[in-house]
Amino acid sequence: MCRRSEGGMKGFRIARRLLTAAGIFALAAVGYVLIGKVYPFNWGLVLRYYRLFLMGLFVTMKISLISIVISFFLGLLFALMRKSKIEFFEDIGGLYVWFFRNTPLLVVILLTYYGVGTIVNLDRFWASVIALSLFEGAYITEIIRSGIEAVPKGEIEAAKSLGFTNFQVFASVVFPQSIRIALPPLIGQFVSLIKDSSLASIIALGELTMMARQVGTRTLASFESYLIVAFLYIAITTIISTLGRYLERRLAIP
Amino acid sequence: MSVLELHDVHKSFGDLKVLKGINFKVERGEIVVILGPSGAGKSTLLRIMNFLEHPDSGQVVFLGKKLNGNYKIIRWARSKMGFVFQHFNLFSHLKALDNVAIGLVKVKGKSWHEAREIAMKYLEKVGLSDKAQNYPSQLSGGQKQRVAIARALAMEPEMILFDEPTSALDPSLVGEVLEVMKSLAREGRTMIVVTHEMGFAKSVGTRIIYMEDGRILEESGPTEFFKNPRNERAKRFVDSILERVI
Ligand SMILES: Nc1ncnc2c1ncn2[C@@H]1O[C@H](COP(=O)(O)OP(=O)(O)OP(=O)(O)O)[C@@H](O)[C@H]1O
Ligand SMILES: [Mg+2]
Repeated sequence: MCRRSEGGMKGFRIARRLLTAAGIFALAAVGYVLIGKVYPFNWGLVLRYYRLFLMGLFVTMKISLISIVISFFLGLLFALMRKSKIEFFEDIGGLYVWFFRNTPLLVVILLTYYGVGTIVNLDRFWASVIALSLFEGAYITEIIRSGIEAVPKGEIEAAKSLGFTNFQVFASVVFPQSIRIALPPLIGQFVSLIKDSSLASIIALGELTMMARQVGTRTLASFESYLIVAFLYIAITTIISTLGRYLERRLAIP
Repeated sequence: MSVLELHDVHKSFGDLKVLKGINFKVERGEIVVILGPSGAGKSTLLRIMNFLEHPDSGQVVFLGKKLNGNYKIIRWARSKMGFVFQHFNLFSHLKALDNVAIGLVKVKGKSWHEAREIAMKYLEKVGLSDKAQNYPSQLSGGQKQRVAIARALAMEPEMILFDEPTSALDPSLVGEVLEVMKSLAREGRTMIVVTHEMGFAKSVGTRIIYMEDGRILEESGPTEFFKNPRNERAKRFVDSILERVI
């Protein structure tokens, strides 16, 4: 009985969402037709360059995935430093967060490519990965730090009182709990990272946004190219958020 | 050899002197009940025994070994000294069974399989084998505290410290926890119990320590203590607690 009514609720929610989607789609269609009267869309022309979009999509996904992994570990490392009892480490962690949260990503990318990249040899791709990882890592540091701080002190003491080493306290009690707490903002930050990767186009890295600009220049159909790119970004980020929500549900503790 | 000895232990938090020279010994099989008003330093004393706080000066000797900041010895001592907290402090991401088993895995190096089998025995002992698969949030306060006691017991400790184990409980749930503690007393375990449960102190305690303002003001057997406390402040404290109960 209870189950059926829950099912009913769920069915209702899906119906409502479908209705909303249909409404938005109808509005978009009307808008499209109206705009089409002023701006003649030429999709065929743009889609001839589908290879460029696919290449861009591939680069965007590659840079995003690598940066997500690196920025997560940077965030973990610097969060631990910020929580360290050794003041020197604590200061380093603070300095890192302070610097990267107060510098625009665009500038970080330019600094890495034209600054660091002139001292050590860095190609566009790795310069972008490093800049993006360092930048997002600062936000992830703060997310993980607040996750760590949310773990009840009493549980840490309970683990110590059993005779755990500090590492065991972290690995068995602090980390599993703080990662659950941090997961939703963490996923949000990964979504930001994917969108922020578009700024790598400033150093002519051939990712999605850069490719859209190229197609736009070649075909003079910028509107169409950027619409396609917007759609592709939405697709990637929606997949990431959905995966995140799935993970959240899987890891949830009653 | 005494299980535990404290020699002239001092502890301050900033300018606040919390312990002002504590001396006492606990022999095997003793059940020492520590009484005293809020702020007396009872919790701090227990935490120092477990080295969750470091004493400013003085000595803590456990099973003949000095605890003096050597990390390995401290961990050894902690693994042989159970600690039951006022707020249970169960690991909220682990089921009851794993809360009890994890110490055996991490500290005693047992496999999860073996540790869980042992853990189940201890859950049975506190009457909670049917709650093994529950997470802490799915347990009542009394059940949580019994799991916490099972967690301490599973380590086969030489001594168990209890810091107001029933103070955070609904009055109706106090009894079940006290019952478990009484059964431990009957087994002849060494226990140090901070509590406001006068009935428990009187019937189970083998020795009462009255603390106030960072000092031990009185130390005597339970009958003696409750009939005729030598110390005036201890007397007033007992009266005030008994009044509250009546
Ligand atoms: N970590 C700390 N930092 C600063 N002051 C503290 C700290 N821990 C305890 N204190 C102070 O030390 C004094 C003794 O505290 P303690 O918790 O040992 O008292 P208690 O006898 O256990 O009291 P209660 O019955 O309320 O639990 C209190 O004044 C308390 O505020
Ligand atoms: Mg206390």
